[in-house]
Amino acid sequence: MFQNTKCECGHQNPVGTVLCESCGKPLDEKLLKDQDAPLEMRYDGVARRSQKANPHFVDRIWNFFSSVKIAVYLIVITLIGATFGTIFPQESTLINLTERSEFAAFYKEEHGTAGVVYHALGLSRTYESWWFIGLLVMIGTSLVVCSLDRVLPLYRALNKQQIRKHLQFINRQMVTYAGTVSGDGKDWAERFGKELKRKRYRVYQENGALLAEKNRFSRWGPYINHIGLIVFLLAVLGRSIPAWHMDQYLALYEGETRQIPGTNYFVKSVDFTIDYYSDEELASNQKGKLVAKLYETKAVLYECTDACDDPTRDPVLTEVKSHDIRVNSALTYKGLSLYQNSYQERVRFISVHPTLTDSETGQAIGSFDLKMDRPDEEYRVGRYTLKLNDYYPDFGLDEQTRPMTKTREPNNPAFVFRVTGPDVQEKGEIFIYFPMPSEKSKYYEQILNESFKTRGDSTGRFSLKVENPIVDGKMNNIEFSEYTTFLNIRMDKAMPYIWVGAAISMIGLVMGFYWQHRRIWLRIDDGKLSLGGHTNKNSFGLRADVAWALGKVGTEVDPKSLDNRGNVR
Amino acid sequence: MGRYRKPIQYVILAFVLLVGGYAIGNSLMTKSVVLAKGDEPPGFRLADLQKQVHDMEDYKGKPLIINFWGTFCPPCRDEMPALQNQYEKWKDQGLELIGINLSEDKLTVESFIRQIGVDFPILLDNDKKTEKAYGLKQYPTTFFITPSGKIQEVVIGGLLTEEEIESRVERLIQAKP
Repeated sequence: MFQNTKCECGHQNPVGTVLCESCGKPLDEKLLKDQDAPLEMRYDGVARRSQKANPHFVDRIWNFFSSVKIAVYLIVITLIGATFGTIFPQESTLINLTERSEFAAFYKEEHGTAGVVYHALGLSRTYESWWFIGLLVMIGTSLVVCSLDRVLPLYRALNKQQIRKHLQFINRQMVTYAGTVSGDGKDWAERFGKELKRKRYRVYQENGALLAEKNRFSRWGPYINHIGLIVFLLAVLGRSIPAWHMDQYLALYEGETRQIPGTNYFVKSVDFTIDYYSDEELASNQKGKLVAKLYETKAVLYECTDACDDPTRDPVLTEVKSHDIRVNSALTYKGLSLYQNSYQERVRFISVHPTLTDSETGQAIGSFDLKMDRPDEEYRVGRYTLKLNDYYPDFGLDEQTRPMTKTREPNNPAFVFRVTGPDVQEKGEIFIYFPMPSEKSKYYEQILNESFKTRGDSTGRFSLKVENPIVDGKMNNIEFSEYTTFLNIRMDKAMPYIWVGAAISMIGLVMGFYWQHRRIWLRIDDGKLSLGGHTNKNSFGLRADVAWALGKVGTEVDPKSLDNRGNVR
Repeated sequence: MGRYRKPIQYVILAFVLLVGGYAIGNSLMTKSVVLAKGDEPPGFRLADLQKQVHDMEDYKGKPLIINFWGTFCPPCRDEMPALQNQYEKWKDQGLELIGINLSEDKLTVESFIRQIGVDFPILLDNDKKTEKAYGLKQYPTTFFITPSGKIQEVVIGGLLTEEEIESRVERLIQAKP
């Protein structure tokens, strides 16, 4: 496949060299056939670093990743693979499911047979699948290997360029000019070089040969871009480190404080507000519907500072940040971000403020705050003490008609109090209290209090009641939550690296896109001038430079006439 | 440069193998949180009704039953007496039994326990943390853990009779560390 690697100028070139590293004479057979066609100047014709005559096993792996063709295939396959992940929702977006069987049931129910196949093929976890990650790893490898194999030889080639090039090399460039020079060739080259210097070219001369070059750094743009992409890819892979990435949801009713699982932070929803569009603001087909305009959670973030792992004490919390969380306005603190995800209208009592009444005298004794969740166990009301004996958040009766709670939520709480104090029987008076104003709970309250009476635990003397529960159509003496807010809690420690990678990549792209590497070679042999120029893009600009400089030294040429490619491409 | 070509190739390929292997290996691992036979149950540190702290570590080396229960769950309520009876029968032979309550109010738990007359430790979970760590989906769920700290069996839902508990305890006690 590869044949002689020694150029006629005496330079020994590595296997795979297209243009002699020293004089630029074409070595590749294909280029030798058509003596007039413009040269393939990719990587200045140097061989890829790893090309060897007898590759062994590791070299073969290396060569596989070194191929740009393979890289393109890998990217195309990855893109096609990625599209599979967009057919149905991914498992990671289904908040409440965790088990394989649950996911399977979800896909079957939502998407039928297609869903079953989709889930069975593992496409419901496309982006976490071994083959997708494997493709990303291969692309990353290919980026490193491709770049390294090309950038090092290119750097070497550009760093020690021969000034005097082979005539074939000069005459087969994309921009060429041939003419005659009267007088001293050296002198002419000197003047021509000076003009090019004014166009900010670096000019090197050697016995009537000249090399002018500008913006070489733009050649490094693609490689800097690749470094950025590698940093980016590594950062994305870094997300699989458990401590680097978190994405979870937390439901909070108004006034609730909950720990963010897996962290030392607690979050409180102080208040939730929602605004709807008025009818005038809505499109005609939406009129009469409730469309949310703005919803917002007033949230406070706390850090636990003491008793965090002590199950016998409540944790000591210190406020670290407060923020009104809206869509696209997250609460962020030390890499932790709390986003507004959704909300649910669900009335839930937080506390009531009932009044204790002595039915014998008909007098109100006093009032106190009664929490629906984790109620205090003792209350002082006037001269009496109320001790909470029993508490059922969601009152009901079990099969043996014993009182029990049906759920853990205070949907219909019942409180059993024992009252002690002056002129109350020794063992106290027991009564049950239902704060919910429903008919059923009031019925239970009555029945149970009657049974306490018949058992002799109570004389029916005390009762609790919320006074003036409704004032001006609003609940009074009752604290309640109207909305439960759902917050999305995220942590992404890979993000700074992703930004750094993206920035490096951008710098590389700008370098490569907005500057062009331009080179002009010329040699004067016995008054005969041969000039060739090469640039990786914008040959129009290069032609203009050459024509301008030629014009300055007295040879007027039309820039278009310098184009050597016209009949080829 | 040429001198280092080979070492550089090897270093880069080894790095790729390492990072790629980790990433792909990670993606192959099952992310299931449901515990199964042979797994080591996650640790916990919870307070009982007397505010004594119980650490999972304290129970290493002893046959252990962990019962997750709540007063709101009828089968949990119904199987409590059976658990208590079996506890009394086997505790002299080293059996440990823990009831982890499903994040209910202390008062609610206490009054139920008093009614039934349970005297094995009842631990209070907080904000469903332990329950989630154990991947609970149904109540009650009972874990039978060997002295070597491995799960022998997970009984999900349903009502455990004394016989059912007994046969499992016997197996647990036989599985000495």
